[in-house]
Amino acid sequence: MSARGDDGGAGTWVGRPVPRKEDPRLLRGIGTYIDDVPEPRGTLHLAVLRSPYAHARIGAVDASEAEALEGVVAVVTGADIADLIPPFTADYERPGFKVSRRSVLATDKARFVGDGVALILAENAYVAEDALGLVLVDYEQLPAVSDIEDALKPDAPRVHEELADNVLVEGGHGTEGFNEVFEAADHVLRERFRVNRVAGVAMEPRGCLAVYEKSDDAVTLWTGTQVPHMLRVGIARCLGWPESRVRVVAPDVGGGFGPKMYLYPEELLAVAMAREYRCPVKWIEDRLEDFLTTLQARDHVYEVAVAFDGDGVVKAVSVDALVNSGAYSTYPMGVGLEPFQGPLNMPGPYRFRQFAFTCKGIATNTCSTGAYRGVSAPGVAMAMEGMMDRVARRLGLDRVEVRRRNLVGPDEFPYVNVVDQLYVTGSYVECMNRALEMVDYEGYLAARPPERLVDGKYRGIGVAVVTELGGQGAARYKARGLSDLPGFDTARVELGPDGRVLATTSFSSQGQGHETVFAQIVADELGVPVDDVTVRGGDTGASPFGTGTFASRGAVVGGGAVMRASGELREKVRRFAAHLLEASPDDIVLEGGHAHVRGVRQMRIGFRDVARAAHGLTESMQLPEGEEFGLEAAATYDPEASSVSNACHIACVGVDAATGLVEVERYIVVHDCGRVVNPLLVKGQIQGGVAQGLGQVLFEEILYDAEGQMLSGTLMDYMVPTALDVPTLEMEHVESPATDNIGGFKGAGEGGVIGALPAVACAVGDALAPLGANVNRLPLRPDTVLGLIEGVGA
Amino acid sequence: MTARRDVRVTVNGRAYTRNVEPRMLLVDFLRHECGLTGTHVGCAHGVCGACTILLDDVSIRSCLAFAVQAEGKEITTVEGLADGESPNALQRAFHENHALQCGYCTPGFLMSLTEFLRETPDPNEAQIRERLSGNLCRCTGYANIVRAVRAAARRPRDEDCAP
Repeated sequence: MSARGDDGGAGTWVGRPVPRKEDPRLLRGIGTYIDDVPEPRGTLHLAVLRSPYAHARIGAVDASEAEALEGVVAVVTGADIADLIPPFTADYERPGFKVSRRSVLATDKARFVGDGVALILAENAYVAEDALGLVLVDYEQLPAVSDIEDALKPDAPRVHEELADNVLVEGGHGTEGFNEVFEAADHVLRERFRVNRVAGVAMEPRGCLAVYEKSDDAVTLWTGTQVPHMLRVGIARCLGWPESRVRVVAPDVGGGFGPKMYLYPEELLAVAMAREYRCPVKWIEDRLEDFLTTLQARDHVYEVAVAFDGDGVVKAVSVDALVNSGAYSTYPMGVGLEPFQGPLNMPGPYRFRQFAFTCKGIATNTCSTGAYRGVSAPGVAMAMEGMMDRVARRLGLDRVEVRRRNLVGPDEFPYVNVVDQLYVTGSYVECMNRALEMVDYEGYLAARPPERLVDGKYRGIGVAVVTELGGQGAARYKARGLSDLPGFDTARVELGPDGRVLATTSFSSQGQGHETVFAQIVADELGVPVDDVTVRGGDTGASPFGTGTFASRGAVVGGGAVMRASGELREKVRRFAAHLLEASPDDIVLEGGHAHVRGVRQMRIGFRDVARAAHGLTESMQLPEGEEFGLEAAATYDPEASSVSNACHIACVGVDAATGLVEVERYIVVHDCGRVVNPLLVKGQIQGGVAQGLGQVLFEEILYDAEGQMLSGTLMDYMVPTALDVPTLEMEHVESPATDNIGGFKGAGEGGVIGALPAVACAVGDALAPLGANVNRLPLRPDTVLGLIEGVGA
Repeated sequence: MTARRDVRVTVNGRAYTRNVEPRMLLVDFLRHECGLTGTHVGCAHGVCGACTILLDDVSIRSCLAFAVQAEGKEITTVEGLADGESPNALQRAFHENHALQCGYCTPGFLMSLTEFLRETPDPNEAQIRERLSGNLCRCTGYANIVRAVRAAARRPRDEDCAP
């Protein structure tokens, strides 16, 4: 790019480990999370009365005692607001889908423990909670179903009585000639994998504050969300309001991970109540409510069959996926997300050419499930890598050799895989080779005794090669039937009169570091120091429209929009500077916050002077011919294809023979997310993603009993990894820049989780292989592992 | 409802007197009565550590204490660590080592580690991880927090690092 310095080289900020701009406020305790947003005078506190039963018909509600409590303003039931807030849904009538409607407060029956039945509005949160205990509801308990396979039985309780059965979505597809290839193969292995139900457990629970603006008859909703624009569209649509009457603002958000990309009943209730009662309404959930009602994830069963030849070359793969969808479909992702995402991710880095799948999303009397870091990819990666190990064991081959024979090789890019996913660049073999060197794979195997028992621990190593689909735009979302996801994102970049840059994006941040990485991109495009760039987002009143933050799309789509807008602004700055320096725009170089004439550094002008001229803040009119006042540009970005990152994860574990405890002793990642914007932050994403993956493999599990009662509703029962459970990763990067998007970036948010499930599950499988143990379900908690060691679970 | 009582505390060197219900949690008192919202509530059942503060220089979970229990005592919260706009050594080490992402758990870590580094000025990794295990972080995977603690411990102790 000729504008980026006399050497014509790349910019100086992208690629550097710039410490984050968002840190100072967060480290000093002066960030603004949802419960820190100042409460306007007269704020009412909303509390939700939740069904204690997983499935119950709702009879009479006696609120008289609650209403009489000092400080209670109102008790509102589902019946009271059925007209004000109609049931909402995400899925439309289309083949394979059944539409399930959700009332924000249940009117006929409650469908999971935690389903809202009534709400309290009170003068403070303590009184609101007191009042919950005073509302008497006449419940008629109904038989409930929480397990997916139980829910498929013909006599299973029906979660939605108006639907024919509990299957909310089903689909499937097979490549042409699948059966012939499958049946002709030398060997077939089948396995059934069970992926545990987990929760995102963002450290900040959900919450919102809806402020009624009298003068506009409008509501501003402050809420801890990943998708402010999607929420505004959804809220206005559900309430039948013009969008001009709803503004959604995401302040600092204490972790997202997927579950905060949905529209929740409490947000609709707060908005509607704020307008109804003409006052601010605030709701902050506690941790139990978070476990009961914030969308959960996984809870999948995969029946996998792999057909292969005597050399371990995989010829055909089939998978039948069952997904526990919980009680209701969700907005904006709908019920199809997890069921279809599994098969889409199944081929990963492998080049087999025959593939068949079926998938079902099944309603149960449990919390709804949806997006959580990696969606279905971690589970299918565990299944796929688990099958590669099984193929190796069946044929007596080394597991690495089997992978080598099936991976898309360095010379095969661009490659279109069996589900039509384009891999434009990648480094599957290179990353694996480097990771094997780092761990000294041959040395590890040679040093280990055949029974694998050293110092009372079975030692095992797991090798996982994975891909991560990120950065999706409209084309991919529409192909997947996601009607409510636009796909593009937007940035507006302005050079203010003081010569400093403000970039406003359609994104909101939950800790990813957008204020820093987007600033790095702007700084390079405009030739300004990163400290001169301020990045904002998350406010539909100030940010341009766009999709939002999820699915490893920040750098690719948000970064792409920022890059395009900055590029347009750069040209305008050059034209203004050229006018002021009496030179040709083509000869203007932007660097270090100045514009100068190429080769004549003394002919220069600071951005502040350019900006003042462009904003009319000069003694004489200095507008170049054909230009308009102001220095700003807006652009959208909508990548055509997914970006596909890749990685090799290797875990070395010790499995205590006496206790069954799995300890991860070493963990290696060689990762390729294309062009790296900020290596400090990418490493942080991977370390953190692996930690969440280790949690899912080793301890985390949302448990419901057969009646649909949750057994894991506290952080004592639901085990999030601590500093004693997560090793420091040994990590390296390979860079294969994407050539089909403008920044060359690929997503990095989810790869850590995707690699961790297969790496650790395969390592435990390897450690216990001499015992004949079959590792095919998660989590691998000590009791489960002891069962495997003792042959109980084999 | 039980009669309200006056609670007098000193927080980060400033005196506060507020008239509150005896059942008010200390964390709610700090956040909503004193307006010091840097102390966060992550679980309200004493597991996650996000609400950790120093009460007379000893770390406690402010979600497990009532405001009335702090009567007459000195409290330090995350807002009391920096010297005006200047972060202390531990805060700087967190920044330089990217030891926070969403930042919600961070104040609890900082307060717990303030006590830890005062008592254990030259900790090894095992001691650091043992101490960190009392606080949950969902974003970072802890590695950079461990690095930050090591970096802070190596620095000459600033006065503001040990309140």
